[in-house]
Amino acid sequence: MTRKIRRAAVVAGLGLVVQIVAALHWTPATFIVSAVVGVPLVLGGGALFLAAVWKNMRDKGAV
Amino acid sequence: MQGEPGHGQGSRRLDPASQNILRDRTQRAHFLRAARLARPCEPAALMLPAQLIVALVAGLGIVALLVYGAGILSGHTVGRVVLLIGLVALPLLLTAGNISYGVHESSSTRFCLSCHEMQRHGESLFADNRQALAAVHYQNRLVDRDSVCYSCHKDYAMFGDVKAKLNGLRHVWAHYVAGVPQKIELYQPYPNSNCLHCHDDARRFVEGPAHSPILAALYAGTTSCLSCHRIAHDMAKVDADQLWQAGPR
Repeated sequence: MTRKIRRAAVVAGLGLVVQIVAALHWTPATFIVSAVVGVPLVLGGGALFLAAVWKNMRDKGAV
Repeated sequence: MQGEPGHGQGSRRLDPASQNILRDRTQRAHFLRAARLARPCEPAALMLPAQLIVALVAGLGIVALLVYGAGILSGHTVGRVVLLIGLVALPLLLTAGNISYGVHESSSTRFCLSCHEMQRHGESLFADNRQALAAVHYQNRLVDRDSVCYSCHKDYAMFGDVKAKLNGLRHVWAHYVAGVPQKIELYQPYPNSNCLHCHDDARRFVEGPAHSPILAALYAGTTSCLSCHRIAHDMAKVDADQLWQAGPR
């Protein structure tokens, strides 16, 4: 589970990195990159984390 | 009319919005030359506020710490809650703030004029012509100078903002992929409703001798406001560098 959580954190972190770079060099193109790449990465990181927790709970019979 | 400026060569105070758009006449002349030569260049980069960037960096730092602490934190309930907040709630909150600010900032005049092909339209805000719509509205502060493009070029219907943003995506596509057309034109005829959003029941508009006989047609949209107010952006004045002398006092 730890490995999956780390993977989720890396994905979410990448999303934040994209947004930081776009915020530092803000043009119409980087704004779109921030929205089209950065946001899905953050959402994906969150989804991976929740999926990891859900799977862990299911394996332990908690749900 | 509040704060109506004078006309001609007199010195004028340059407000911060004007400073952001076009810093000085030398720079404006440079933009003009660049536009005439049609040299491709990247849009002028801006930077979002430092507070927003610091918040994003702090969030990234917390996420990085959680990468290393995941092994310990995932072992107990409180740790999982910390992970949930740090890896899901915090990044989502920061992302929402960033995108929200970005969408708001994308309505600003400086954002529209950050693309070089729009520089001449930015120049036309300073055109020395009391009949040109863009110049009149900008110079007389009839619209917010920080969002002057957006104020006139977005529809005010329920999905006006959405439509404006989608059109913005088309602009970006044209800038980077499809190529900018030789003549920049509206996607559709300019609707009277955009003018009437502000002028609707304004006394000067309703009682204006030219308006009163055709008010019904103007409200119905069967007669375009632009059929009389023909000059929206006075590019001839821009090309001749006949600009309103807004300069530091």
